[in-house]
Amino acid sequence: MIKHSLNKKAIAARTIAIIVAVIIVIAVVSIVGYYLTRPPSPQVAGTIKIGFTISLTGTFSVEGTSSLNGIKAITKWINDNGGVIIQGKHYNITFVYYDDQSQSSNIVPLYTRLITQDGVEFLLAPYSSPLTSAAAPLADQYNIIMISHGGAADSIWKQGYKNVFGVLTPASGYLKPAIDWLSVNHPEDKLAFIYAGDSFSVTASKAALNYALQKHLTVVYNQTYPTSATDLTPLLQAAKSAGADAIIGGGHFNDGQLIIKQLDQIGWKPKFICLLVAVTEPAFYSSLGNLANLVCGSSQWESSVKYSPAVAQSLGIEYFGPSIQDFVNYYKMFSTNEPTYHSAEAAAAVLILVKAIEVANSLNTTAVRQALLSLHIMTFFGEYKVDSTGIQIAHSMLMIQWQNGSLKVVYPPSFAETNVIYPYGS
Amino acid sequence: MVDTLLLFSDIVYGLLLGCIFSVMALGLNLIWGVIKIVNIAHGEFIMLGAYSAYFLNLFFNINPIISALLNTIFGLGLGLIFYFALIHKELRNKETITLQDEMVTLVATFGLSLFLSTLALLLFSGNSVGINWSIGSIYVGFLYIPLGALYVAITSLFIIYFVHIFLTKTYLGNAIRAYSQDIIATQLIGANPTKIAAIATSIGIALTMLSGSLLTVWIPVGINPYMGSLYAPISFVIVVMGGKGKMWGSLVGGLIMGVIIDTAQIFIPPTLAYAIAFLILIPILLISKEGILK
Amino acid sequence: MRLTVSFYFLIGILFYISITPFIFSFSQTTLILDLLIFAALAYSINFITGMTGYVSFGHVFFMAVGSYTLVYMSKVFNLYPLFTIPLVGLIGALFAFVIGYITLRFRGVYFALSTLVIALASYYIVLVIPALGANEGLIFNVRFEPLIWFYTIFSIVALEAIITYFINHSRTGYAIRAIKDDEDAAIALGINSMRIKLILFIISGTFGALAGGVFAWSTAHVYPTEIFDLQFSLQMLAMILIGGMGTVFGPFIGAAIVYLLTYYLITILPNGQLIIIGLAVILVALFVPMGIVGSLRNKIKQIKQVVE
Repeated sequence: MIKHSLNKKAIAARTIAIIVAVIIVIAVVSIVGYYLTRPPSPQVAGTIKIGFTISLTGTFSVEGTSSLNGIKAITKWINDNGGVIIQGKHYNITFVYYDDQSQSSNIVPLYTRLITQDGVEFLLAPYSSPLTSAAAPLADQYNIIMISHGGAADSIWKQGYKNVFGVLTPASGYLKPAIDWLSVNHPEDKLAFIYAGDSFSVTASKAALNYALQKHLTVVYNQTYPTSATDLTPLLQAAKSAGADAIIGGGHFNDGQLIIKQLDQIGWKPKFICLLVAVTEPAFYSSLGNLANLVCGSSQWESSVKYSPAVAQSLGIEYFGPSIQDFVNYYKMFSTNEPTYHSAEAAAAVLILVKAIEVANSLNTTAVRQALLSLHIMTFFGEYKVDSTGIQIAHSMLMIQWQNGSLKVVYPPSFAETNVIYPYGS
Repeated sequence: MVDTLLLFSDIVYGLLLGCIFSVMALGLNLIWGVIKIVNIAHGEFIMLGAYSAYFLNLFFNINPIISALLNTIFGLGLGLIFYFALIHKELRNKETITLQDEMVTLVATFGLSLFLSTLALLLFSGNSVGINWSIGSIYVGFLYIPLGALYVAITSLFIIYFVHIFLTKTYLGNAIRAYSQDIIATQLIGANPTKIAAIATSIGIALTMLSGSLLTVWIPVGINPYMGSLYAPISFVIVVMGGKGKMWGSLVGGLIMGVIIDTAQIFIPPTLAYAIAFLILIPILLISKEGILK
Repeated sequence: MRLTVSFYFLIGILFYISITPFIFSFSQTTLILDLLIFAALAYSINFITGMTGYVSFGHVFFMAVGSYTLVYMSKVFNLYPLFTIPLVGLIGALFAFVIGYITLRFRGVYFALSTLVIALASYYIVLVIPALGANEGLIFNVRFEPLIWFYTIFSIVALEAIITYFINHSRTGYAIRAIKDDEDAAIALGINSMRIKLILFIISGTFGALAGGVFAWSTAHVYPTEIFDLQFSLQMLAMILIGGMGTVFGPFIGAAIVYLLTYYLITILPNGQLIIIGLAVILVALFVPMGIVGSLRNKIKQIKQVVE
């Protein structure tokens, strides 16, 4: 290419023009970006801001929506009943939340946003163990207290986090009531453990399996499946061939339903079925109808359970917060459904946090942490006491069973309304 | 050793399931074999078929087999839209597909796949749903076969047969087969290439959607926006296994895949069974790029 | 090799990015950190799909490999994650070599399907490996070191961008463009396309793994359902498609656009970003396959021709 000196100047001029243009673009983008992503101005005095994500869409949408309504209900109760008192001053609770879409990839960005841009002072964990595990590191990283209401996997509290506290019975305790009942009433039954492969279901089922072996029960089948499985007939067939009388396990809502439907599809009625999570949802009965009758499940809480100031007094501890009936009434302001245990555990998280703040008489993380470690009280949800790692040790797990269209608490005897009806299908 | 009863019943279930896989793959095969485009969004059309069967059942109490017929009509319509929106621009006036064109349609249909599944998530929520179509079952000896699954399998076989008759005995069918071999030749027999391609595509999509309806019998709680990612790879493997463009190959391939997936779960966990089913694609491709069933 | 104006541009922009932690606030720096992870992924897929036109649907596989390697090595051998980074890259390269050796001999569609199938199957396989956490995944205790994460990923992106530049402006760059235009003709001209494709694929796998490693490090966990999600593959393809395939600046521009979209939509319309990105991919693939940088380049060429 032959270049005349005239063209050389033109090219040089054009090059400089382009460089300048790009620099201006970068500068503009930076300035705009800076102002668009700056944290908002500090919040209204006299409020305490709690932040969290919750699953309103995706696989956990049913449980997540229940939890959110529980949080809304208790927040209104707290604000209606004097709010939070710190050093004589009155504070209301407000909260900021985002839909995490049941995806763990959204947890870190959303919680980072809640902390650095929305300026929340306390955190609630998301629903489910994997999402809670993803959120937990941020509690220590930014030194903010996080209460877990929907993440029960024991592994969460084995990582050494200082600021994460659980109100619910950990996963390892979920299926123990079923094993306890079987070992007393039908120790000859052969057990099949069929459960989802997520940390919660695995922890719960494996703990139950080991507990069953300790109690000298017979286990004939033990198999996990992926959480997204759509066809469990091969596993159910195999358990049947192995001579199982009872099926224990499941996972979350969808696979719980799947197991019952496919048991019917292959024409097998085991004598005893106890599944995680799914059984307590009203939708379980409304979609399965008769097939759901006499299925057992585990529950952190039912509205018919006996927790009250009187019971607390007999145990020598304080009772804090609304009565069960009050909670149910407030819950009905936000949902046409009855509250489930997801609603109650989420509400309990807020309640325990508020109590700890009042005991600490401060919003300071260290003070509140100390309070959470030393508290031993009862709420409408049950007892609260944690060990030094923050894992819940005093809350009791309940076994429930669908009987003629209503959910009954059947175990442990001290809190139960009625007895287990056996076998399934009778 | 292995419980022979269990093995036998799994083989039977696998064959029943495999019939539906065959129809699924047939839809893909038709499009791939005729207009030489791989529809990555194939799984999402299966998902749409399943959801439409679900809603037809929910609101109008229509059973999956009738829904399948209705889905054929939806599918024809959707298929035309699909063709003219995505494919037509690439194929118009071209005799062969270059790598660049192929890549464009691959990426575009990949985008479509995630677009449709996310749209479904927004519209239908992530809850898995299912159809309660319990019409009882029969005992064949010691085997317990749900009638729903049986009817659906029989329907699938009929559909495959009809497609075969259509392709070999009707004018349109022959034109389609001519197009798949040589686009110019189609014009020689007096058919408009664009029209042929559009019709072939819409039939392919129709078959895909109706297979989604039939599938619902096997997945009582499995209808969710992301189910496509499970069935699309199975379809790809079947088409490659049976030979691109060979309709009977899809039938045999479908049956084989159904049996493999069900029986493998006796020995290995369900996840590994699916993994192996997907990975079979690679050895098959290595052995012969045109499939292994002649 | 001549260093053109665009090289100095690149160095300038990289320098600017490197000092952003001192200009912007802490929370904004974390955003840039996330953006850089996106950019690293975009550059990595650019090496194979952008340059040769071989669509890799399963690229998320390498991201997963990197994440698992980093978390596993750090957790099981109690190593400081930064020290495991070289190993992460090595393992990414190894997997890329094995997979590329088998699948790059298939053309177009079959290569794409193979990568898709490998990514999906790997997800199912990992689900049954207890050592990798099976379905639960792995979590580990990580010291909060955002600056170190920032500079690690920055170094990775800088390296990728510079390598991309040198490949494009070298003789091999001509060969690669020839392969993209018409592979048969290129082979007829004596170009060893298999070797070039394999090398590019190994580079792309290495950097994909490195990006995945930093991602897992900064989030302190790796879950199979999250790390094998095909939405990452779609986002990666979208980034280079919108930005401009095979170019030096394209992946970065594409990453910025996709990232900003995600950032704003995530709180307004859950999952909205995927719908819009999916739609964008369809439209761009059909109408503007050269992306932003590609189109700009064509415009500049047109202007040059008119002037001279």
